[in-house]
Amino acid sequence: MLDRFNSSTSKPNAVRLLAIVFFVTALMFAIIGTVMGDSFYVRLATEALIFGGLALSVDLLLGHVGLLPLGQALFFGLGAYVSALVLKEWAASFWLAIIVSMLFCAFAGLVGGLIAIRSKGVYFALISFGLAQVFSKVIYNTRELGASDGMTGVPVVTVIPGLQTDNPLGFFIVTWLVIGGIYLGLRYIMQTPMGRLFGAIRVNEHRVCFLGFDAWRFKITAFVAAAVVAGLSGALYPMLRGFVSPELMFFQVSGNAIVNVIVGGSGTLIGALYGAGLLTMLKSILGSFTVHHHIVIGLLFVVVVIAFPRGIVGYLVPVLEARLSKKKPGEH
Amino acid sequence: MKTNKLVAIMALAGLSTVALAQNGPIRIGVVTPLTGTYAGIGEQVKWGLNLAAKEINASGGVMGRQIELMYEDEEANPSVAVQKAEKLFQTSKVDFLTGTVNSGSTLAVGQVAERNNKLMATTVSFADSITGERCSPNVFRVNARAGMQSAALAAWVASTKPGAQVFYLGPDYEMGRSTVAAFKSAAEGKGAKSVGELFAPLDNKDYSPFFGQIRSGKPNVLYTSVAGNDTVRLFSQMAEFGVSRNVQIVGASGTVTGQNLTAIGKAAEGFVTGAGYSTLIDSPENKKFVEAFKAENKADPDLYGADSYGVLFLYKAAVEKAKSTETDKVRTAIRDLKWSTPQGVKTMRGGDHQAMQDMYAIIVKNGKFEIQSKVSAADAIGPDTCTKF
Amino acid sequence: MTSILEWLQFVLAPQSINGLSIGVAVVLMALGLTIIFGLLDVINMAHGECYALGAYAVVIILGMGVSFWWALVLTPIIMGVMGYAMERGLIQRVFHSKDRHTLTLLLTFGMATVMEDAIKIVFGANPRSVEAPVTGATELFGSFFPNYRLFVMLLGGAIIVSVWLLVFRTSIGAIVRAAAHDKDMSASLGIPVSRVYALTFAFGVALAGIAGVLLAPIYSVFPTMGRDFVLMAFSVVIIGGMGSIKGAVIAGLVLTQIQSISSLLISPVWNDTLLFGIMVIVLMWRPQGLFGKLGHA
Repeated sequence: MLDRFNSSTSKPNAVRLLAIVFFVTALMFAIIGTVMGDSFYVRLATEALIFGGLALSVDLLLGHVGLLPLGQALFFGLGAYVSALVLKEWAASFWLAIIVSMLFCAFAGLVGGLIAIRSKGVYFALISFGLAQVFSKVIYNTRELGASDGMTGVPVVTVIPGLQTDNPLGFFIVTWLVIGGIYLGLRYIMQTPMGRLFGAIRVNEHRVCFLGFDAWRFKITAFVAAAVVAGLSGALYPMLRGFVSPELMFFQVSGNAIVNVIVGGSGTLIGALYGAGLLTMLKSILGSFTVHHHIVIGLLFVVVVIAFPRGIVGYLVPVLEARLSKKKPGEH
Repeated sequence: MKTNKLVAIMALAGLSTVALAQNGPIRIGVVTPLTGTYAGIGEQVKWGLNLAAKEINASGGVMGRQIELMYEDEEANPSVAVQKAEKLFQTSKVDFLTGTVNSGSTLAVGQVAERNNKLMATTVSFADSITGERCSPNVFRVNARAGMQSAALAAWVASTKPGAQVFYLGPDYEMGRSTVAAFKSAAEGKGAKSVGELFAPLDNKDYSPFFGQIRSGKPNVLYTSVAGNDTVRLFSQMAEFGVSRNVQIVGASGTVTGQNLTAIGKAAEGFVTGAGYSTLIDSPENKKFVEAFKAENKADPDLYGADSYGVLFLYKAAVEKAKSTETDKVRTAIRDLKWSTPQGVKTMRGGDHQAMQDMYAIIVKNGKFEIQSKVSAADAIGPDTCTKF
Repeated sequence: MTSILEWLQFVLAPQSINGLSIGVAVVLMALGLTIIFGLLDVINMAHGECYALGAYAVVIILGMGVSFWWALVLTPIIMGVMGYAMERGLIQRVFHSKDRHTLTLLLTFGMATVMEDAIKIVFGANPRSVEAPVTGATELFGSFFPNYRLFVMLLGGAIIVSVWLLVFRTSIGAIVRAAAHDKDMSASLGIPVSRVYALTFAFGVALAGIAGVLLAPIYSVFPTMGRDFVLMAFSVVIIGGMGSIKGAVIAGLVLTQIQSISSLLISPVWNDTLLFGIMVIVLMWRPQGLFGKLGHA
């Protein structure tokens, strides 16, 4: 009882504050960008949010269940391809594309999970990596899916009457709502008993079995949920950029998502979004100054892992907590 | 009174921005891989473009305006290329874009160009589809496409080894397979016989498991469409195992290039390909170009450098003909335009935006690319399969 | 009858011998990985880059006019020093946290990215070649094999045998095995455990470096070459059992034979998928690998 009490007052306040700051800042950024007439930055921010969704799915597995997915880009790419195919070949409907992508990725997540979840630790990581390699190779070689060139020509669709996907601010807001929805959904799950079990599995899986729970079932659920989140984010990509290519499933995308989560702060959910946002902006800015941006980000990552393993949000939260509890002395 | 002054100042400011737009530099965006596996190609592209810009600016620019090149790294990844292209079109407001290397990037960036109502040209991508079934009214191609390369090579094979027994070895992905298929049909059309076909995975490190199969086919010609590091491995291993003895090795233009020639070394001797450029093309324009390029960059130009050099002159000629940088006017001017390049006079076919040029069968001798034979532009170009405009 | 014998002699045998030369290379890579994991419980995601650095070391050494044989001796020493520094300087710092497994994996993953980029910056993206010190070919069972490959097989085999002897038949090996088995007990017996850790890591990295030197003339040298062996080496270690030298050797040789012979029957593109499939099946049946010990994940 006391446990619930404590955790529902101080920490979530700090995290909630950071989350509000993130979403409000993102929205303001997009509005300012639109007012200044520069849709490039608005679209870049939309892309950052989309990859933030992938980072959220990685954080769900890594930060909350304790599984390191080295191939999560597989589901992201699958979501993107399914969405593109639906829009091009079936019907140019936003909602249809989203729903079909989510269903497909849930199924794919189930199949993938059945293969991968039996193992833990590094075995899981490598099977996840292997799955992504194998499937991206299949797609790379399939002519009907555009093979190595990918598919262009994804049409512009209407989200709600009056709002088309090629409207930069409009689509930004759609993405903002989707990612915000995913974030809130995941936060909610973490407060439920199932969410608590995820954390327990991360800390000590054996003990969970002794408490009478089937860890395997919960891990599969988490894996499928992560696949759906990744797929849903991926489904938005072709709507933004008008094309898909096999590079969306390559290890680089999975690796980037992991870097985003670690730098932002794993286990905090909002850290994944911060990481994605900050690193996308950083890469864009660095890229204009030097060609060696990869190594800068690689070094940053190594420094974070060694010196700040809890990530940006991980370190900000205690600081904020302290300041917040100073402001409200009577409340705990 | 204040309002009048304000209006006057604003009008003046407005006029001068318009005037600036007319007299300011012409911005040309370059989205090319500056890092990653294709960085070597991106470097040649950069060298070619820089040299052309320097020469054009020194002789007065385009319609009196200087050319300004703005570079962005696409890392040979279409997702990054699209992002950078958009940045160049919208934030840097470039008038024209070029530099993409792999076909996926060219196609994706072409779409971005359409959405921004601007034009772009590729100087490297050779997938036939770019000016074929996936052509776009905003995309032009200055370099030779795969079909043209195959035509030149097949003609050479037919003339030097009539009725050849050809074995095909390609990397197992769409581009590798279609390049092999294109050459196979061109060669068979000229009387060659196919004795076997093998596709190895991309980034394959060891080709020795395939040599048994190749040997049993007893080919006298081996065609391969591997590229980059794969070529280094294939060729040195073939030499190791003696597979290349008494077999004429031919391949795609991307198989042996300036980037991997040093690493392949002696194993590349005698390799023949079909390409649109050689430093030994015997024309005064080419000699001048090669000298200027070598002086500037301490390296020979290759086809990527030469074609990138040529694209700026195409743009200049088109803008001068249209007397404007407006997209629609320039597009009309580029169609069927003839312009001068180190490879001679090229024509930009209006029907599919593919440049027509003479093609050469090139052989590697003593570490240099030499010309063996030539196929004329009209014979090499192939039919116009673009139906979108 | 004769055609089957002919097939065996002229098709299967050369394929199998080729597979053996590839197998020796893979085992060398997997050995370093499994030793590092067996003792330190650390997944070295940067192992491929250590292999690449070994190859680039040869390029530099040959470029200075020194012969290949010196490169073979010097490179493992250079790589060993580097490995020692890596372990002490970077890996030690995350070694004692409770999230050790994930953190070391992420750390070595980050190191791999930085090393690959550093190679690209220093050496450029274009490939380099290294001349084989042994040239010519020999006839074996009616087919020709390059002498250098035979040399690699023999030398590689000798190295593998010496490693096995070192680990199982010397007192140094006993110390290392003791520290792996029970860190605290060994420490109380006076074994300098942290130094043993660093030296073992250095040894594993040196093995990767030797593989790089030996294979450079066959597979050429370029910045992303580290990725060549990643999937294969990790699969071999997993299938053989993490920490088991016997497992790495057997799994390495058997898997490369399977791959070599299967490329006669199915398209070689499916090699990776086949390997992956075997790995999944082995893990489902025996999650600790063929010869591994439970508790090592």
